[in-house]
Amino acid sequence: MTEHIVSSFDNDLKELSRRVVEMGGQSERLVADSVEALVKRDTELAQKVIVLDGPVDLLQREIEEKAILTIARRQPLAGDLREIVAAMRIANDLERIGDLAKNTSKRVLALTGEFHPQKLVRGVEHMSGLVLEQLKMVLDSYASREDARALEVWRRDGDVDVLYTSLFRELLTYMMEDPRNISLCTHLLFCAKNIERIGDHATNIAETVHYLATGQLLTDERPKQDTTSLTSMPFPA
Amino acid sequence: MNFATDTSIDIASAVNRATAPSAEPKLKVEGLNFFYGDNHALKNINFDIPEKRVTAMIGPSGCGKSTLLRIFNRMFQLYPGQRAEGKILFDGVDLLSKDLDSTVVRSRIGMVFQKPTPFPMSIYDNIAFGVKLHEKLSKAQMDERVEWCLRKAAIWEETKDRLHTSALGMSGGQQQRLCIARTIAVRPEVILLDEPTSALDPISTSKIEDLIDELKQEFTIVIVTHNMQQAARCADITSFFYLGELIEVAASNEIFTNPREARTRDYITGRFG
Amino acid sequence: MSSLARRRATDYTVKVISTGFAALSLVLLAWILWTLVARGLPALGPHVFTKITAPPGAGGGLLNAIVGSLIQISVALVIGTPIGLMCGTFLAEHGKNTQIGNAVRFVNDVLLSAPSILIGLFVYQLMVVPIGGFSGWAGSFALAIIIIPVVVRTTEDMLNLVPIGLREAAFALGAPAWKVVTLVTWRAARAGIVTGILLAVARAAGETAPLLFTSLGNNGWSLDLGVPMASLPIAIYQYAASPFEDWVALAWAGALIITVGVLTLNILSRLVLAKMK
Repeated sequence: MTEHIVSSFDNDLKELSRRVVEMGGQSERLVADSVEALVKRDTELAQKVIVLDGPVDLLQREIEEKAILTIARRQPLAGDLREIVAAMRIANDLERIGDLAKNTSKRVLALTGEFHPQKLVRGVEHMSGLVLEQLKMVLDSYASREDARALEVWRRDGDVDVLYTSLFRELLTYMMEDPRNISLCTHLLFCAKNIERIGDHATNIAETVHYLATGQLLTDERPKQDTTSLTSMPFPA
Repeated sequence: MNFATDTSIDIASAVNRATAPSAEPKLKVEGLNFFYGDNHALKNINFDIPEKRVTAMIGPSGCGKSTLLRIFNRMFQLYPGQRAEGKILFDGVDLLSKDLDSTVVRSRIGMVFQKPTPFPMSIYDNIAFGVKLHEKLSKAQMDERVEWCLRKAAIWEETKDRLHTSALGMSGGQQQRLCIARTIAVRPEVILLDEPTSALDPISTSKIEDLIDELKQEFTIVIVTHNMQQAARCADITSFFYLGELIEVAASNEIFTNPREARTRDYITGRFG
Repeated sequence: MSSLARRRATDYTVKVISTGFAALSLVLLAWILWTLVARGLPALGPHVFTKITAPPGAGGGLLNAIVGSLIQISVALVIGTPIGLMCGTFLAEHGKNTQIGNAVRFVNDVLLSAPSILIGLFVYQLMVVPIGGFSGWAGSFALAIIIIPVVVRTTEDMLNLVPIGLREAAFALGAPAWKVVTLVTWRAARAGIVTGILLAVARAAGETAPLLFTSLGNNGWSLDLGVPMASLPIAIYQYAASPFEDWVALAWAGALIITVGVLTLNILSRLVLAKMK
């Protein structure tokens, strides 16, 4: 796109976008670290994640303030308006993603000293790999304003949901097998839910990128395949 | 859809999205070309203006938007050397037809200008002037008409005690609303507004915009403005003109968030070089 | 000397010189007025306004000349104003940038600066010679020719000052052209046009030359425009050149009356114009 007649407007928009990308990188790091902390039972890393969520929250507030100021100053329209609205929305999603990573890390601390069979976390690790890939891709699609990749992320969220449902069943099964697993599995279940919700936020970002690139809202029903709310398992009497 | 090569735009869909069920357009411009001497100012314009809606025309200076507005009420005929070709159907009648009297056209298609233009007479006479041209009213009927249009123009409360004082003593914003009242008084069907607030302060501007919202219940309104936010606020339909061509017509909701044409986008986001 | 000091010195010198000349012209004007008042005032008396021309020493007045002037100027006004107004309106409203408009404007400007004696001679040839005698009509006609170009000029200028938007606004309400001109444009320029007419009258009132060859002057009492008619400028011309003291005094009185009249008209027109702004 050509430059604005007012060049400081271009600078404002570039700065806004640069901060969102920076925030995306930080949030992605938090998610990866929190999962690693969980898998490796690394409490030190978990603590680091909890501390590093602070700067992400700060960045979100900064982006919001800058966006509001730009709207007030420039009265943006069309692509410019979408650019600013997208920055605010994505910053919100990223902030939530940071919080979810922090929550996972807190659970890592809570699990310290628990009996911890490695096979139980395999499923969570696998699922988080997929979600991280989604997150990375959607952030790339924002940086490059590529609608196609954003749509791909949006469609693939179903896979995460499917994984989560099966993980849910698996963890229930472990709990039924051996009640000593219950504490760990419950925490793991929450961690899995956190990761699944990070996937949802990635999908939100994909919708925002689509709006940013095309001006259209994604109104179709998103492929929802998290059926755990419908899942029940009879407790073996 | 590709609008770049074809200025004949079917805005029916845009209108439908923006408005209630669309009837026949109030003004239908067909293949209009306009010349200032040798200067080809408007090029093959095809444009529908729906009834009882606000249609905005935006574009850089010299793009032809004001020219088009002045064709609608045949203002251009006041100046020799200006020439229009094509058709403008007003309820099916060609406005450019030689058989049609200009004074009749102007009584049905009123116009308000950029600068307030009160006549050097009392507020009452400013309004009576236009009415007397077309109707013979008794004193009581005229009083009633004056009050009616001043109320419509949301200026009755400010003027009712000074109807017989000079209109030149009013503030700029009041003068402009008087000019709108004067136009309404003739009871036209279409009101053309040529940058009606560009000479006014923000408060007066808000009052005029509020008035436009009111008036569209009864009148078809066409507004030329340089203020994009104003078009976004007031207009149901917005059209973008550039170098004498109609580039894009769409519902205002769409054109200001997601214009289809690159030239529209560049203009409304302030990227024109 | 520094450049600043030099500039200050130049500034000061120019200021002194221009103020000096301005004062000089004011002094001359005051001198004229003073002489007029000093010589004219003692000569003024009821007889000036109540008696007509009489032989020297017989105590005559200027009544016939004053009335004659008033009549001829009024008739000139009645003839000249409509023509001037219409012509000025044509130039401002329809004759812009047209050949005929430019031609009319040019001729009018020439007429505006034509020596008034020429106008007198013109009317002499046109009316006095064919009819075979001087007359009040001829005098009025000559004064009308003085008035017309002034009215044309001021009317056009004043109408040009009326914003184009005002005309367009009137047209936009569906008014036909003649109503736009008469009800809106003239109205907006009213004060300026009236001023122009007053100035034209002031100018015509003081003219002697056009009347010399047309209405000639008349020492008797006459309200008949068909015969020679008295007028103030001509009376002044005749009396001032005479060797009789009381006639010369009357000439001073007449000059004072004309001056006060013209001055009043000028002040009046300024007041009207100020009211417009």
